[in-house]
Amino acid sequence: MKILIVEDEKELSQSICDYLSGEQFVCEQSFDFESAIEKISLYDYSCIVLDINLPGGSGLDILKELKKENKLDGVLIVSARDSIENRVLGLNSGADDYLTKPFHLSELAARVAAIIRRKSFDGKNVIRYDELELDLSEKGLKIKDKKVELTRKEYELLLYFISNKNKVITKNAIATHLWGDDMDMLDNYDFIYTHIKNLRRKLMQAGAGDYIKSIYGMGYKFFLA
Amino acid sequence: MKLFTKYSRINVLATILIFLIASAAFYIALNIVLLNQIDEDLNIEKKEIVTYVNKYHRLPENIPVKDQVINYVPVNGDTKLTYSTSDIIQPGDSISADFRQLIFGIKPANQWYKVTVSKSLEDTDNLIHSVVVISFTTILVILLSSFFINRVVLKKLWRPFYQSLATVKEFKVSKTPRLQFDPSGIEEFEFMNQTLERITKQAQAEYIALKTFSENASHEIQTPIAIIRSKLDLLIQDEQLTEQQSNTLQSAYNALQKLTKLNQSLLLLAKIENNQYEEVEKINFKIKVESKLDDFQELWQAKKIVTHSSLEEVFLKMNPELADILLNNLLSNATKHNYDGGSLSVELNKSHFKISNTSSSGMLESEKLFQRFYRPSHTKDFNGLGLSIIKQICEASGFTKTYNHLDNLHTFTISFESTPVTMNA
Repeated sequence: MKILIVEDEKELSQSICDYLSGEQFVCEQSFDFESAIEKISLYDYSCIVLDINLPGGSGLDILKELKKENKLDGVLIVSARDSIENRVLGLNSGADDYLTKPFHLSELAARVAAIIRRKSFDGKNVIRYDELELDLSEKGLKIKDKKVELTRKEYELLLYFISNKNKVITKNAIATHLWGDDMDMLDNYDFIYTHIKNLRRKLMQAGAGDYIKSIYGMGYKFFLA
Repeated sequence: MKLFTKYSRINVLATILIFLIASAAFYIALNIVLLNQIDEDLNIEKKEIVTYVNKYHRLPENIPVKDQVINYVPVNGDTKLTYSTSDIIQPGDSISADFRQLIFGIKPANQWYKVTVSKSLEDTDNLIHSVVVISFTTILVILLSSFFINRVVLKKLWRPFYQSLATVKEFKVSKTPRLQFDPSGIEEFEFMNQTLERITKQAQAEYIALKTFSENASHEIQTPIAIIRSKLDLLIQDEQLTEQQSNTLQSAYNALQKLTKLNQSLLLLAKIENNQYEEVEKINFKIKVESKLDDFQELWQAKKIVTHSSLEEVFLKMNPELADILLNNLLSNATKHNYDGGSLSVELNKSHFKISNTSSSGMLESEKLFQRFYRPSHTKDFNGLGLSIIKQICEASGFTKTYNHLDNLHTFTISFESTPVTMNA
């Protein structure tokens, strides 16, 4: 799947590219308005990561262009501007989601995955990973065709991990994803540990593998052993 | 003194002076002309007498003529021709009057005579008198009317000036509306107004630039922070990291986290100060508090903090984003500075929102508490801006904040009325 990253900060653009590139995604980059407009008219992308403040024009105009050409590319706006008005403006202009800088790359990945899933909803809204089957519309989990009860936070956590599989995710990023910006002001991440412990237990009890590995000092990684 | 008064004073003085001088000159000129006229007449009399004497070789009869006296006095020789004015008594009158005299000599036969022809100046004097009175009155009338006309006209002319003054008086750099002046049609005032508009516009721009500097600086900082974080996120993917490298990375990550938070707090403070959260709504504060308490529930369970809450239905008019931030900060502080197994209680009613918590730290200094970056010596990991933000939000929303330390409980009270509530006993 192709992802276009429209961001004028080359270093940041490169980081995103490096993180997202892998078996699933191929990344392209645009560093200014002109080249972005050109690329979107020539190609189709599963998701466009779009910075609003671009040299040569506004990201919002790119959104308008996409709408005009009736394109189905998903759009994730990334912006330094955090106000509610900016969010509303972005979403009303046709973006699928809005993420403020600075962000965790894992958060970006999770949002991109969510957008792509929503866009390619072809009747089945299910993710499969090894023996896991996540039903996105019901927010439920089935392992080996048996339903597994998950709390809301456990479900979100599992989804987050799957969207960032094979990547090391910091506790910090997990806390921000599950509780928002305000909560991770607190350093005590023991309660994250509790959630992860519970999730692992449930997965293993249902017969799935132990996908979640704790990376010393850093965080966690979700992968097929 | 007022410009008008000064102008009037000068005007009046000058006018009076000019008129006085003019009047004096006029009087003198008039005098001369009339005197000349009489002298002409005297001369004619003299000519008649001389002609008579030359013809008849004797003095003419002295026929009494009104206002005219002719005297013949025998003398020894010729008399020089002189014109003069003197006070004499005309025969028939009791009082003396001014007469103009022409004195000359004449020799009808063999005797020299001094002839004095005198004409009364009474008419002349009356004429001059009338003229002077009329001129004087005219001058007075002119002065008075010009004074009043000036007053009225000048007042009208100066009105644009006073209007401009009133407009400028209302000017506050912090207010955004631009200064507007009504066009006056008078060059000087137009020029003044344009200059005022220009300099006030400049002042406002500079003020705004200054105010937004902090906000812009914080915004600029976001980008390098984003880059660093993204690079760290990539670095940690490396499975080959040693334990030591992992630790180092973790420290760097933590520090970056603090930096991010700090910058966001600064940005928030700048925005609040710049009135970017001015929109207010009627919000159900009780529901907001309940939802926040829900959010924190997990955390409190993990820390085994016992919570009590007593909430009444309260509606407040404030900015909803600020309400969220306020509650977050208060609750986070109460949680962060609490110890495991401690307690936290929340009270909400129509007059205030009160939050109390146990804490490992002792009493905090009230006055310094809400200053930026104040940090009691024994606490750590707290960016010192949280309370500043609370203070700023209170100010923006018209609330008052108080801090108490009682029974080993830190209590923060946010009063919703604008007058400060008395300290909780």
